[in-house]
Amino acid sequence: MNEFSVIGKRIAMVDAAGKTTGAGKYTDDLSVPGMLVGKILHSPYPHARIKRIATSRAAKLDGVVAVVTGKDARNPYGILPVGHDEHALALDKVRYVGDNVACVAAVSETIAEKALELIDVEYELLPGYFDPEESMKAQTDLIHDNKPHNIEKDYHHVFGDPDKALAEADCVMEGRFIANEVTHAAMEPHSTLAAFEIDSQTGKPGRLTVWSSTQVPYYLQHKLSLVLEMPMAQIRVIKPLVGGGFGGKSEVIPLEIIAAIAARAARAPVKITYTREEVFWAHRGRPRTIIDLKTGVKKDGTITAVKARVVQDGGGYCSYGVVTILYSGALLGALYDIPNIGYDGYRVLTNKPACGAMRGHGTVNVRFAFESQLDEIALKLNLDPAEIRRRNLLKPPCVTVNNLRVQSYGLPECIEQVVERSKWRERKGKLSRGRGLGIACSHYVSGAANSIIRSDMPHSTVNIKIDRDGGVVVYTGTSEIGQGSDTMTAQVAAEVLGCSLGRVKIVAADTDLTPIDIGSYSSRVTFMAGNATLRAAEEVKKQIALAAARKMDCAPEELVFRDDLIVRGDDFGKGFAGEGARATQSEASVSGHVEGQILRGSLQQKRKDEGPKDQMTFEEAVVAAIDSHGALTGTGSYAPPLEARGGKHKGAGVGPSPAYSYSAQVAEVTVDEETGEVTVHKVWAAHDCGRALNPVSVEGQIIGSVWMGMGQALTEEMVWKDGMLMNPGMLEYRSPSSVESPEVEPIIVESIDPEGPFGAKECSEGSLAATIPAISNAIYDAVGIRLHECPFTPERVLAALRALKKSKHINLTEGVDPAAPTRFREHGGALCFRGKGPERHALDPGRREATVEAGGDD
Amino acid sequence: MKKELIELRVNGRTHELALEPSKLLLDTLREDLQLTGSKRGCDDSSCGACTVQVDGIPVLSCTLLAASCEGQEITTVEGVSEHGSLAAIQKAYGDWGGAQCGFCTPGFMMTVKHLMAENPDPTEQEVRAALSGNLCRCTGYSQMYEAIKAAIEAEQKGMAAAK
Amino acid sequence: MSLPEFKLLRPRTVDEATGYLAKYASNVRVLAGGTDLIPSMRQKLFEPRYVLDIRHIPELKGILRRIEAGVEIGALTTLTAVERSDFLRQHYPVLTEAARTVASPLLRNMGTIGGNICLDTRCLWYNQSLTWRKGCGFCIKKDGDLCHVAPGGSKCWAVFSGDTPPALLCLNAEIEIASPAGRRRVPLREFYTGLGDEYRKLNPNELLTRVFLPESSADYIGIYRKLRVRGSIDYPLAGVAVVLKRSNGHVADAQLAITAVNPAPLLVKGVLRLLEGRPIDESAAEAVGDLAARTAKPLTTSALTPEYRREMIRVFTKRAVLAAATN
Repeated sequence: MNEFSVIGKRIAMVDAAGKTTGAGKYTDDLSVPGMLVGKILHSPYPHARIKRIATSRAAKLDGVVAVVTGKDARNPYGILPVGHDEHALALDKVRYVGDNVACVAAVSETIAEKALELIDVEYELLPGYFDPEESMKAQTDLIHDNKPHNIEKDYHHVFGDPDKALAEADCVMEGRFIANEVTHAAMEPHSTLAAFEIDSQTGKPGRLTVWSSTQVPYYLQHKLSLVLEMPMAQIRVIKPLVGGGFGGKSEVIPLEIIAAIAARAARAPVKITYTREEVFWAHRGRPRTIIDLKTGVKKDGTITAVKARVVQDGGGYCSYGVVTILYSGALLGALYDIPNIGYDGYRVLTNKPACGAMRGHGTVNVRFAFESQLDEIALKLNLDPAEIRRRNLLKPPCVTVNNLRVQSYGLPECIEQVVERSKWRERKGKLSRGRGLGIACSHYVSGAANSIIRSDMPHSTVNIKIDRDGGVVVYTGTSEIGQGSDTMTAQVAAEVLGCSLGRVKIVAADTDLTPIDIGSYSSRVTFMAGNATLRAAEEVKKQIALAAARKMDCAPEELVFRDDLIVRGDDFGKGFAGEGARATQSEASVSGHVEGQILRGSLQQKRKDEGPKDQMTFEEAVVAAIDSHGALTGTGSYAPPLEARGGKHKGAGVGPSPAYSYSAQVAEVTVDEETGEVTVHKVWAAHDCGRALNPVSVEGQIIGSVWMGMGQALTEEMVWKDGMLMNPGMLEYRSPSSVESPEVEPIIVESIDPEGPFGAKECSEGSLAATIPAISNAIYDAVGIRLHECPFTPERVLAALRALKKSKHINLTEGVDPAAPTRFREHGGALCFRGKGPERHALDPGRREATVEAGGDD
Repeated sequence: MKKELIELRVNGRTHELALEPSKLLLDTLREDLQLTGSKRGCDDSSCGACTVQVDGIPVLSCTLLAASCEGQEITTVEGVSEHGSLAAIQKAYGDWGGAQCGFCTPGFMMTVKHLMAENPDPTEQEVRAALSGNLCRCTGYSQMYEAIKAAIEAEQKGMAAAK
Repeated sequence: MSLPEFKLLRPRTVDEATGYLAKYASNVRVLAGGTDLIPSMRQKLFEPRYVLDIRHIPELKGILRRIEAGVEIGALTTLTAVERSDFLRQHYPVLTEAARTVASPLLRNMGTIGGNICLDTRCLWYNQSLTWRKGCGFCIKKDGDLCHVAPGGSKCWAVFSGDTPPALLCLNAEIEIASPAGRRRVPLREFYTGLGDEYRKLNPNELLTRVFLPESSADYIGIYRKLRVRGSIDYPLAGVAVVLKRSNGHVADAQLAITAVNPAPLLVKGVLRLLEGRPIDESAAEAVGDLAARTAKPLTTSALTPEYRREMIRVFTKRAVLAAATN
């Protein structure tokens, strides 16, 4: 007999039907009576002071209801308490092409777009900063006045004695790695609908309801309260279905606040849905990163020290930047045993859209560098790349040199699994020329042990309510964004309560209904909200057990809840073993169902009250519990244990997690040596997720992570020219299609974490980071080139191949060597925004006669 | 621009609508007919989230004028379920993890339905090629192939049973 | 992004269509498959007062075989129909192969052969939203007076990115152009100007109606090779079409055309001279590759560097020629 009846089963997500039929509603699918369309005016310049905004001509256009600018909401905000540097609409300065300047609410999209062209903005252009290492030298025209040298934040961490260890190492490898910028490109463009209700007492606009595509409803509620100067209690945030997040919806995005400001000014509901270009401007993706990495090892391959200098091109605002730059350093630890770590991290401001959190937050680019360098070392020491990784495993339970606590650790098995399945031993280094295998590992947190808002509040709280009909309603603040959190919650509740999944309804992510949960990011939901659900369910179960035990004349502890039945523990084996048991069970559920429909309440109960029972149906037990002590509710919450919260140094808050997931991957690629094109044929990906609560979902997350990593490795790249994003669309930002997407073989490794719900850990992010170096290492195996810059576009690969062969050299990458890159490459051509170009466009304000009345309305 | 009276046939029903000539089929479906299953994911006709069938052929409803489709038979994802139950492909996408966030799923439904109608026994390569106009950002596509295989089997079994 | 407002004209015949064109010539755009025009109208690259929707002109659809006069393809024939035509695959394989690589299956279900021939030239500095273009200061092709790709010059370098035209050029295709004055037939090679902005010779009152493939071009071995980053959806970043006829193992006739590296698809001159009368080997193919690469003038209009794209014209040409030789 299986240990569980719901956990570990391959089941369809509880909301799958709504998605396959089109019946499920995403934010942009919603409309309310009187709703207006909001459109945002964006800055065409990367860095400029706003001298004047005149909106009166736009406001006069028929069909325009309101035009709002920065002065309509002056309070700054930001996702991090240390980074309140954003305004929903610019007050005095714009800091990137696409920065938000004004918003029009009108009766139609067409009218709103026309009105945008009637807003006159006078800019004074400022010098822009586009390269982070140049930006760090800035003395004047700073992006934010309070950030000298345009450095958002820098950290300098020393654990152990890395300099000494490097000096004593047998082999030291050093190199610069560059990872170019990528973005989430979730299929659903961000959308927000904001509506005020009129208050019955005051007769004035009162409560605000916001429907939004967000991973973090409570943070949104909090920031709305801050900017709009309304109490949180007056604001309700509802998250409908969300079409993918990957971190891009894990903070407050400008449109979410702008929609509310516009709705307030228009005195009507306003919906704003981003165009795809606006999604790219809102961005918050993975920053371009320069990594100078130095690793020291002993002759046998054991790592003695790592030193990293990391510079992140963070864009115009802080966003999650401080956390990103800390993760990049902290997660050098907790994968391998590294006794000495030195880290210098610089988060730098530039005049581009703000970078933020993206799947594998902070670890991915550094992991690309580390795992690539580890292969370089293995080569030098003549060690098998899988073996050098084995020689540097942690010995958990342990605490790393940078104070990260590791308990469950499935990495050794992950490595064994992928080595086995890929036939690594037989095939590595023995494939035909142009074909190769590469291995790499990665890990990730199962939620951050310290929330970004420092408080003692539990990170997750879940309420459960069961009614007389036996329906279980779970109230959770977590955001289902496609990762399956609602399904996970239902499974955990059903397993604990021993009821069928069909009984469980999920009410999620509605700040009026659901208890506070900090949101769906950093892979925290299964671990934290899962634990909260488990505890809430156990609390309810205790109440049911008490009532049932009375009826069954036994102690509550003796009872076992399973498959909609409650039986005594000693009956458990026979009750569920044979054919007879199954008949009993189905009979019970049929009668329970019929009576539930027809004979509700005490009549039913009276009939059943004769003598002690051998077993009860879930529904009977629920009725008994409600009859005996009223409403049946339970609450559970989760806060990470103190031991898992990390050290005391500055920045120690980021990196610690109650548990880490582990991944090992082998990629098989071919390289076309004439064109530089890389084809990934297969990736074997083993992921230690603690326990797979729903293997279909876990496999989906592993494959999706690997696939997204492959996108960053080969095709995806935000291409810049002096602050202009050259590819702000799905046509030119190349998210892989089904044709070139490889087969991914997901391998689940279950290390059963002592603190995870049923032993579960995260499974949605940890696999991404290993894919890039696994592919890079495979390219080396195939053709002998070591790429230090990703993505490995065909031109970069070909340039490196030509350099290796010293064959006809052509300047394939405009002076940038992909094998030894020094700086970021910009797109070719020339940007001439200072020219008179804009004035020539018929719609450009500068070109028209100044018809605005003196003084305007600015 | 002045609206014009247009007759559109969608999922077997005829609708008389007053539309601007510049109105896209996607916007008409979503705003005028409240058929919000078809999604807008891009603005450059590259993502496939808005896929519908026009006269049985999958096309991008974001790239078609509604008025231009007069006289043609439009099928949206809302027309895929059978007698209020999930079609085999819809059930299979759920069971096999073919849908995660679900935003691209309606588009895939329209493309895959067409593939299944056209080619009852596609190879994996044919499936990949057929799906390559629809982008998905969650699944890496792999689990969709399993779902399609399962749906084809289920349909064949269903047909065998009907005989 | 909404479409600009316009009035929709829906002719049912070619005469009706050309009548509208004559009437509104200065302010009308022709809409067929829509896959080029509609995204561009969203970006406000075109804001015509009238849109001429020719989707429902039956006489412009279909592939018609003319006895001893080759084949006639209606301009509204979808790329899917071209790709799947058994007749074309058998006798003009370079065309079906090129059609099969256009964009994605969905876009091929919509896009037409006429539209692919008339495809607007493309540039990363041009195919952008109005706001974006304001930021870059506009360009010669639309609303501006400078070129970001070749600063200082006054020529527009927007790149022609159709896949089927190089194949059609190799097949000596002709096109039929209708206007109120009647119909004229011109060789496709005379259709393009080589300029990025005024890229084709089509008067505002004219409509492309048919494509003719001559009988004499039938049954050539044909290969199309396309550089793109993804296996689907992408426009070509470089493309090579080659047709070849052999006799006794030697090359009797050959044509080669390139696309996506110049403002027009171009027949490469002098290919036959390099191949004629000899068996094709690596060095002959390489020589043709060099020739094609010299014809290519890729610039920073597109993704990947111009240097790389030119290099790929060389490699893809060599490969296409070798593939044709072993076919």
